[in-house]
Amino acid sequence: MNHKVMPSDISKPSRRLGHIEPAELPPLPPPYEDFNDLGISELKAEKTASIETSLDDTVAIAIPKPADKEAEEKYIRAFLSGLKKLFEKENNWGFLQPLLLSMEHCARCQTCSEACPVFEMSGRQEIYRPTFRSEVLRRIYRKYIKPYGKITSKLTGDIDLNWTTIARLAELAYRCTLCRRCASVCPIGVDNALITHEVRKLFSQEMGIAPKEIHEKGSVQQLRVGSTTGMNPMAVKDSMDFIKEEMEEITGYPVEIPWDKEGADILLLHNAGEVLSWPENVGAFAIVFQAAGISWTLSSEEMGYDVVNYGLWYDDVQMARVAVKHAESAKKLRVKKIVIGECGHAHKALTVIADRVLTGNLNIPRESALVLLDEIVRQGKLNLDPSRNNFPVTLHDPCNIVRAMGIVEPQRRILRKIAPQFREMTPHGVDNYCCGGGSGFAIMSGFNFAEWRTLVSSRKKFLQILDAFKDEPQEVPKYVCAPCSNCKGSIRDILTFYHAKERSRIFYGGLVELIVNAMVDMKKPMIHFD
Amino acid sequence: MSLYFLSYFCFIVFVIAAALRVYRQLTLPVHLRWELYPVKHEAGDKAAYGGSYMEEPNWWEKVRKKSLGNELKFMIPEIFLLRGLREENPRLWNVSFPFHFGLYLLIGTFILLCIGAWSMFFGVRIAPGKGSIASLLYYGTILAGFLGLTLGAGGSAALLRRRLRDPALRNYSGVTDYFNLIFFLIFFVVSLLAWLFNDPSFDGARAYIYGLLTFGSQPQGDMPARSFLGGLTIVLTSLVVAYIPMTHMSHMFMKYFMYHSVRWEDEPNRKGSRLEAAILQNLGFKPTWAASHVGADGQKTWGKIASGPGK
Repeated sequence: MNHKVMPSDISKPSRRLGHIEPAELPPLPPPYEDFNDLGISELKAEKTASIETSLDDTVAIAIPKPADKEAEEKYIRAFLSGLKKLFEKENNWGFLQPLLLSMEHCARCQTCSEACPVFEMSGRQEIYRPTFRSEVLRRIYRKYIKPYGKITSKLTGDIDLNWTTIARLAELAYRCTLCRRCASVCPIGVDNALITHEVRKLFSQEMGIAPKEIHEKGSVQQLRVGSTTGMNPMAVKDSMDFIKEEMEEITGYPVEIPWDKEGADILLLHNAGEVLSWPENVGAFAIVFQAAGISWTLSSEEMGYDVVNYGLWYDDVQMARVAVKHAESAKKLRVKKIVIGECGHAHKALTVIADRVLTGNLNIPRESALVLLDEIVRQGKLNLDPSRNNFPVTLHDPCNIVRAMGIVEPQRRILRKIAPQFREMTPHGVDNYCCGGGSGFAIMSGFNFAEWRTLVSSRKKFLQILDAFKDEPQEVPKYVCAPCSNCKGSIRDILTFYHAKERSRIFYGGLVELIVNAMVDMKKPMIHFD
Repeated sequence: MSLYFLSYFCFIVFVIAAALRVYRQLTLPVHLRWELYPVKHEAGDKAAYGGSYMEEPNWWEKVRKKSLGNELKFMIPEIFLLRGLREENPRLWNVSFPFHFGLYLLIGTFILLCIGAWSMFFGVRIAPGKGSIASLLYYGTILAGFLGLTLGAGGSAALLRRRLRDPALRNYSGVTDYFNLIFFLIFFVVSLLAWLFNDPSFDGARAYIYGLLTFGSQPQGDMPARSFLGGLTIVLTSLVVAYIPMTHMSHMFMKYFMYHSVRWEDEPNRKGSRLEAAILQNLGFKPTWAASHVGADGQKTWGKIASGPGK
């Protein structure tokens, strides 16, 4: 345990504030012991010479180093201007009350630290403690924004604000997956993940600083082209035609995919990443909806075919813009409700957060696909044979669907009905652990960030998965059901990195694929373990 | 008489500071939803496993069920036994619970002293053998006071020791954190000594409360003379009361907002509702965020910016 680093150290220049030795990482069990000697690769000096890397072993944003003192001063002025705006209702009405409460009432009891998988799995690196970045922000706020701060900071905790502080804090905001496990155990109700979210927002909305994967290639591209994948409406329609043919070939079941059907009951919004990476998920939805006789449609409207909303993680303006576009797509088609596919952050963004952005005719009812699938299964609209899923299955709970929305039981009711060997992870439900890819990490892979994610933030999930299947023979195929695109991305990466498919025969996929796999009407199984 | 003025003054400071904190919360704009499950006003077993009304198909067509019983079932042990801390951080609970419960017992002692003083106003003498209610008040006050002061003194000393010795706490503590604990420790110890040596029956404390409630009158009968320690206890108690709402220790009442205004605030926005009107008002705010992609100029509203292209 490294207690040498203190919040005030963030402003003191050094090569790096935190560093993880392989021996500090919690060990993996057999047959994965050979990974226990593995650390995060050193950043290559020639690639990082011009960017800020002094926080730890990795880089998420890659902020260019300022050219001179004047440029540093400019950064500091911009940071303080943004910090002030976080506490103004005109600029931050969306989170002002939660932020004030969390800033003013933390007792620094550190109960939250024990709940944080990043802190625990990093070997308890002090800089990853949930209170570390909150305390840094709190001290800067008290000293530089509050009246008489320069004097009172001597009593409440001092800190210096310089370029090093700002650059490290920006990076540090991207070492937390915003899973909010820390908030759920706080005896007072303080939310350190919220403070992290607000730090990200300050950097993005005031200084234009954010990881390119979630800003330029993410929300900006989505608003420009229609999807973060870069697919325009034409491309997505072509892909869906291909998926339709694939589905027929895989299952022997002819399926129709309706586009832009005005007056349909449901507009189904997928994460467009599914179309590219997990087309079987998109196809499986089409099969289930068709077999259940659901009136539904997809939209080829710009933004109407990609439900992702990366703004949720870092920028309220981008979040609101994308949510409005989603609602406009549904309004145009005059559907009764929007159903959100297996994408966790999109669930939270469009259903919960945007609930107080969408007004009037844009406030179209929104529902989780897990709820609809549960209803379809419960009503017996599908002819299901659970023996087709007679292999060990465990369920990953996406934080945004479970802890942030309270959708816990529908997915379990389905699994209990269709997967005879279903078992829970420990812990699960609202106490679950993040996949490690939350808040954008699943799509961030610049420099060695993917390595940091796999070794640190996803480590707890990997241990949980291994634990869920620990009593199963190695040769038996096992299925991790992850009803969320980003979670699937992280789980795919950890299973690949640790060769879990080869060593333990662990596979992964969504929930709807398991439903289709159990459907008697399918001539061939949908899930293949090869 | 000057002690009375101090007590009145400190009480008024408490009321004003607490009211300002509460008023500020009540006048903040409606925020985006940021609830965290389990939300304990959910009905049935949803409150236990963390389910929400959004688990129901077409939930917007259904009447929402809320349960005050589920909420109380959670809140009562949370407030009085620090349930969350006991489950998540039992090592800290061992020292934090005595401190907090000691404070609760002292609030209880104060209430018993007020009842006793009020009874004296009507001629009831609070002493053993003067009727069952008088005896109950007499012994109840001694028991609650003794336990409260002892637990509080022990708890604040243990908390101070923990904060000094545990690097995870020490590295995040400022001078004020230590000052708060030392202040409470002195208050508890001085009060305990005053009770032990000068006022074991709390008759002196009851007489002081009588004076406070009657703006300076003295109760009839023999009352113990005020000792130095007794006077110091009055000063410290008054200062503690005034000090609490100025610090993060105001979580003792602000926790209500942490839970009810954020963590459990899951009210859906319905067309034509008051909530929608409040949201529309917020969308009329004019932000000044400086990043170019935001496109804010201090003239455009949030509503306009959100429905703009953002390309």
